[in-house]
Amino acid sequence: MSEIMDRSKDIGEFIPRPDDDVIICRCEEITRGEIRKAVHMGLWTMTEVKRYLRCGMGLCQGQTCSKTVKVIIASELGIKPQELEECTARPPVRPIELGIFGNEVEKL
Amino acid sequence: MRIKEHPIIDSYDKGALIEFTCDGKKLNGYEGEPVAAALEANGIKIHRYTRKRHSPRGIFCAIGRCTDCVMEVDGKPNVRTCVTPLKAGMTVKTQYGDGQREAEKE
Amino acid sequence: MRRYNLCVIGAGPAGLSAAIEAAKTGMSVGVFDENQKAGGQLFKQIHKFFGSREHKASIRGFNIGYELLTEAKALGVDVHLDSVVIGIYDPLRITVCEDGCITNYAADNIVVATGASENTVPFEGWDLPGVLGAGAAQTMMNLHGVQPGEKIIMLGSGNVGLVVGFQLLQAGCKVEAVVDALPHVGGYGVHASKLARTGVPFYLSHSIVRAEGEDHVTGVVIAQVDSHFNFLPGTEKHFDADTVCLAVGLNPMSQLTRMAGCEMVNKGGLVPKTDKYGATTIDGLFAAGDVAGIEEASSAMITGRIAALSAAKRSGFIDEKQFEDGYNENHSSILKLRKGMFAPENRGRMDITKTDEGYPLSVSLLENGFVSDTEIRTFPGVISEEGVHPVIECTQNIPCDPCQEACRVGCIKIGEGITSLPQVNADKKCVNCGRCVAVCPGQAIFLVDEETENGFGTVTMPYEFLPLPQKGDIGVGLDRAGKAVCTAEVTDVKSRKEFDHTNLLTVKVPSEMVMKVRFYKGKEAAKHE
Repeated sequence: MSEIMDRSKDIGEFIPRPDDDVIICRCEEITRGEIRKAVHMGLWTMTEVKRYLRCGMGLCQGQTCSKTVKVIIASELGIKPQELEECTARPPVRPIELGIFGNEVEKL
Repeated sequence: MRIKEHPIIDSYDKGALIEFTCDGKKLNGYEGEPVAAALEANGIKIHRYTRKRHSPRGIFCAIGRCTDCVMEVDGKPNVRTCVTPLKAGMTVKTQYGDGQREAEKE
Repeated sequence: MRRYNLCVIGAGPAGLSAAIEAAKTGMSVGVFDENQKAGGQLFKQIHKFFGSREHKASIRGFNIGYELLTEAKALGVDVHLDSVVIGIYDPLRITVCEDGCITNYAADNIVVATGASENTVPFEGWDLPGVLGAGAAQTMMNLHGVQPGEKIIMLGSGNVGLVVGFQLLQAGCKVEAVVDALPHVGGYGVHASKLARTGVPFYLSHSIVRAEGEDHVTGVVIAQVDSHFNFLPGTEKHFDADTVCLAVGLNPMSQLTRMAGCEMVNKGGLVPKTDKYGATTIDGLFAAGDVAGIEEASSAMITGRIAALSAAKRSGFIDEKQFEDGYNENHSSILKLRKGMFAPENRGRMDITKTDEGYPLSVSLLENGFVSDTEIRTFPGVISEEGVHPVIECTQNIPCDPCQEACRVGCIKIGEGITSLPQVNADKKCVNCGRCVAVCPGQAIFLVDEETENGFGTVTMPYEFLPLPQKGDIGVGLDRAGKAVCTAEVTDVKSRKEFDHTNLLTVKVPSEMVMKVRFYKGKEAAKHE
């Protein structure tokens, strides 16, 4: 996380919503309510929410849910999704079996 | 259901008709097509049940990215059936949670 | 380590076009794609493309795919399939997972053309089997020959939703409704009209409340939304359905460029910042196609070529003059596409009320998916004339002009700007060849003869469904809204190789119906509605 965030902002209490039980991260089965609650617990970045809840850490590695998670966090914070920093992008960009990593081949 | 005749696509370039099993049941499919396509053609929509809520999941992206269609294929779990080519005699099983390798069960 | 002058990541329209352009300058090119087949989204596109001849207009997407692939291979491009590029490193090299092992390739230049993935919109029940992406439905139908379901609700009225909706009908599925939270149809009006005339209803300002079912979708509930997308109580509507297709936008797959350290900007998603030559903020790293900004396949092919030219110049395979010439040619080509109400700069605008020429846009088209009977008469492609003549129901400025070239006797005029509305020239005598009807990618052209015999006239329409009606069949004529308005007798069915699977169906209807009837259904099919 390279950007400094002002955490003194008051974002209000967590107010339950009727759609809190909708699954957002399909791989890890994390709901909208869990993500929203996490923000109100003080987790204000994509990276923190990901590490706490595991949304974006399942088999698809955030391919499906990242954009929606971003929108939800931003909405709770009262900011635009573009203002939120993405999680660090690290290789490998797709899940690869460890056995394959052990099989490095030189091609000439 | 398979599309028998399409107004635009003249042929689908399918391989030979072969047999495979899904949860022990013998089914037919075309060699080389994605396992998920063969399952859908046989009316099978549920590929797995999730770990936490035991919710049924099926095809979602069909392009190998969402991993919702994973099943146990030939004893190996978490195989993306929408991008895995069907082979004669393949054993496909509904995956429960994260799956367990056949070897570990024994 | 194996070295290429150019590594292209992604073998879709942008990637293949970049590879071809680079190979032509003499560069050694390696293309890497994670899928088992090359062509990206092209092979799923069974409809005819828009644009002009230079943009391969009126050619079906998958045929463009074959052309590109053949040309790339003929030029000696190495196409690596089932090859996942898992990282881009400094100095320029890529790490690839292929054949069950990891290999590194050194690159003088890299073009990232990884495209985009589908957006999702969560609602209650969206994780049930039966809810899938519109692209997923396309893959199942057009690549694998399997219907994704029987009764479909399409969420999203952008071009993807409209095009896939029509393809679902062609695959023999039933599309129960097209639903969109916005108040206007997002994609081309002609795509919406193709659906509406078959009877598919549009529900704008509506969204999905929930998908119902125990272990797969059995029903869908939609409801009206306000301008803040909140559901309005009491507006729920229930549909029996087993499938929901999500066509809610695309998200550039730019992780590799982010990993490599490119400066990123927001352009309909996170994309690497590129200059007009396709260069990112990392020297030698270029981006093209949807990953650089969501547009169409036609634009992707051009931006791919521009990026390749930039790479070729950077490595000295072409000189400054060759680069300028190549760039200018491609730039003017893409400018033709980036005009009109669907141009990238106009995306999302709700305030456009007139065409460039000043004709009022059809409100009914935007709100319901079809032009009304009164509105249709105001457009220059719709005229009344003695004898058979084309009626062109193209009412928005879309970059497209194959109809002009199709007519060999000069009945149809668009002019230099390909977004101009087509005009029918009453001075020229139509010879009823039908080429304009077949060639229109929007299936918006009809041949009408208002009085062929006492009290009856004929309408010739494009028809791309099975079973194909036979001469002598008696069925019903449907209007633009998909409503049955009269009996229709099939008097001619033309299927020619040059029409590329667009059959020409001529029906005889009462004279007062020739300006209404735009679709035909056999009596049996109409009865089951």
